[in-house]
Amino acid sequence: MIFVISVAVGAGVLVGLSRQLNGRLALSTNAMESSFWNHIVGLVFVSIAALAIGGMFEGAPMEAPWWAYLGGPIGFLFIAAGSWAINRIGAAQTAMLIIAGQMISSVLLDAAMGVDGNLCARALGVTLILGGMWVTRAAKVKS
Amino acid sequence: MTDTPAPRFIHFLGAFAAGGLITLMLLTNGTLAQYGTLLFSSFVPHLTGTVLAIVILLILRPARAMPQRPPLWAYLGGVSGGLTVIASSAAMNSALALSGTIALGLAGQIMFSLVADARGLFGLPQRMPTLRDLAGLSLIIAGALVIIFFGGTP
Repeated sequence: MIFVISVAVGAGVLVGLSRQLNGRLALSTNAMESSFWNHIVGLVFVSIAALAIGGMFEGAPMEAPWWAYLGGPIGFLFIAAGSWAINRIGAAQTAMLIIAGQMISSVLLDAAMGVDGNLCARALGVTLILGGMWVTRAAKVKS
Repeated sequence: MTDTPAPRFIHFLGAFAAGGLITLMLLTNGTLAQYGTLLFSSFVPHLTGTVLAIVILLILRPARAMPQRPPLWAYLGGVSGGLTVIASSAAMNSALALSGTIALGLAGQIMFSLVADARGLFGLPQRMPTLRDLAGLSLIIAGALVIIFFGGTP
């Protein structure tokens, strides 16, 4: 159990590390070039993994709906936005705002798609997150 | 140490909107993984993202911020991103399930970013998180945990 917990925490550390490295690259270049390098280096990495493991095209990927193929353009924007933000508001605030945006949008998406869930818990969670954003933002306005 | 501009509303909005993009990516890449393999669902967005990046860079030709070349290790963000996919999918298939994986991943991300800010890791500006930052952070984490563990089917 300790091992899988470390793996899950490690996945989060890798997210932060990736944003820190892309942010450093954007400091010398720009956010869009940083996102380009993130994607092409990641593409090479995934391709090598695919060659080593094999079977990448198994299943029926061509039967997926067309919009499932749009993750790349969204990812390009996401990495560029993270590289841009981290150099302006720091790693911690970038991380917490991204988490806030992810949680609130996932609640909205679930609601839009009619996914069953505990509405009270979702409303409480969103309220806590908005409160947290307000606290942080209030600090920055004064300083 | 370079001067960084004071945080403004647009920076907060940008980072917050980026979080919304993750939700969309989970939807697209997760759907792709239902039809094909996990590797395929990581390969496709990297490929199409690279193609779009090339087109955008060729059209806009954005200038580099500094004449000096960035250190070579700064190009490795994509490797870290690729390893994230492997680590999180391994954790998801364990007893932690999706909710545990997401919650622990958030913890790892927050811990890393606090240390990174406090120490100015990898050449980014050093900044000490304020008490209000930590208070806001705690509220956001609490809200995220409530949604992850209690927001599902009642």
